[in-house]
Amino acid sequence: MPDHSAIMHMGQDLLVILHGDLDDRTVESIEREVTSEVARTSARGALIDVSGVDVIDSFVAQVLARLVRMVRLLGAEAAIVGIRPAVAISLVELGASMPDVTTALSAEQGMARLRRMRADNSVRIDHGKHC
Amino acid sequence: MAVDPVAVVEDLAYYTQMVNTITDYAVIHLDNEGVVRSWHAGAEHLTGYTAEEIIGQPAAVFYTVADAAAGRVEADLRTATAADSQVTEGWRLRKGGAPYWASVVLTAVLDQSGPAGFGMVVRDLTAGREQALMLRSLEQLVNSIADLEVIRFDCDGLVRSWNPGAQKLTGYVAEEVIGHHVSMFYNEDDASSGVLDREMTGAARDGSMEAEGWRIRKDGSRFWANIVLSPIRDDQGELAGYVKVARDLTERREQDQLVQRQRDEILELSTPVIQVWDKVLVLPLIGTLDSGRAARLTESLLERIAADQAEVVILDISGVPGIDSGVAQHLLETVEAARLMGTESILSGVRPDTAQSMVHLGIDLGGLRSRTSLRDALQLALRLIDARAGSRDEAGIRA
Repeated sequence: MPDHSAIMHMGQDLLVILHGDLDDRTVESIEREVTSEVARTSARGALIDVSGVDVIDSFVAQVLARLVRMVRLLGAEAAIVGIRPAVAISLVELGASMPDVTTALSAEQGMARLRRMRADNSVRIDHGKHC
Repeated sequence: MAVDPVAVVEDLAYYTQMVNTITDYAVIHLDNEGVVRSWHAGAEHLTGYTAEEIIGQPAAVFYTVADAAAGRVEADLRTATAADSQVTEGWRLRKGGAPYWASVVLTAVLDQSGPAGFGMVVRDLTAGREQALMLRSLEQLVNSIADLEVIRFDCDGLVRSWNPGAQKLTGYVAEEVIGHHVSMFYNEDDASSGVLDREMTGAARDGSMEAEGWRIRKDGSRFWANIVLSPIRDDQGELAGYVKVARDLTERREQDQLVQRQRDEILELSTPVIQVWDKVLVLPLIGTLDSGRAARLTESLLERIAADQAEVVILDISGVPGIDSGVAQHLLETVEAARLMGTESILSGVRPDTAQSMVHLGIDLGGLRSRTSLRDALQLALRLIDARAGSRDEAGIRA
């Protein structure tokens, strides 16, 4: 839904900006939109900015972790940016700290991480080929 | 003055009949010597005497023994004669001696031939007097409370009563506030956002309502008030207004805040976050770590991370006497929260005995990197940052 997400292209990466109140319906349309955009553009990475999301609770944390897994299945890296201090504390208290998800402080740092993850992966693959 | 004798007789019959229908008053005719000459149902109702018992008796039987002995009967008759009429209140006796508080109007009656005795109208005010005394004592009670504002306002919020405590608290005198709306004591924000309406509805619903907030004095200064609002209901249970009791708690609030500020400052001092390098923060932990301190520490660390955009944070535990599972849990939560923001953590200052006891206690630090000295930890931090910057530069070159 355009009300709750905006997708921007930054080179080979997508910047997905989520905002407002995320409920079941909007989450479904966000997943649809992000996955089809990653597939359509053959994006190498997706940076998901959550600084504009009203409430980040364990439900939204699950949604974000799911979104990251979907992007990875489509062959791209994903990272989350914009978790504020209070949100970080409450997610840890809720036991919803998304252990497998890469996070970043800023969009710039996030983009750098996506590239680094790609570099690491390609090194590993290269190693695999050589040995 | 020419008086038609027939008309007088008819009028007399008419008046006698009228007097007989009065039951709330005793209307008694006394002769010139103060002897009872007429009687009726109202008089019997009030005093308990029947006509047979009382007609021909002196008026002194109505007076208390002390009054009668002091010559009050004669004095009253003399005053009534001199002034045509006398209005008094005082104790009188019923048949059997029970006293009642009476309002007495004694009027000298004249006919063509001269003085024709007295008309005495008596009313029992005992109940009214009790009520009046009760009201007065309540009023005095309220007025004697100098440190509390005790006021009454009606359902529309218009002030109906005011006490010296209210005057002392707000600076307004009764004339300035009675009839005005109570919102004059609220600041503009509270008045417009309906705080008062909520207080009134809450009090009416729950039988009482306590609140605290800023209120305004006459001179414009404000005070922190604790108020208790209670609804007043009439005999039918209908809401008739409210009683408000207010106290000035400004001083107590200031003291509370001072204590809180000092506590915050102590916490602040005990949880310093130091920036040792570009994008590297060190949090030296000193002393015991309870959950209050740990929460505060996590909070201030995360705020610094956001402010400095720190990529690595070093948690130095060399100043912590012992790491038990509680402390380890706090540390891990801090590390997790920092990771959610995108910052990596390094543990430093782990001593051999600490390492042993942590493993023996089954404390699992997950993937947290750990170093024995702060120097080693800082080196690791710089390598991590270099690696990231390197990838960023590479990416920049490639792009």
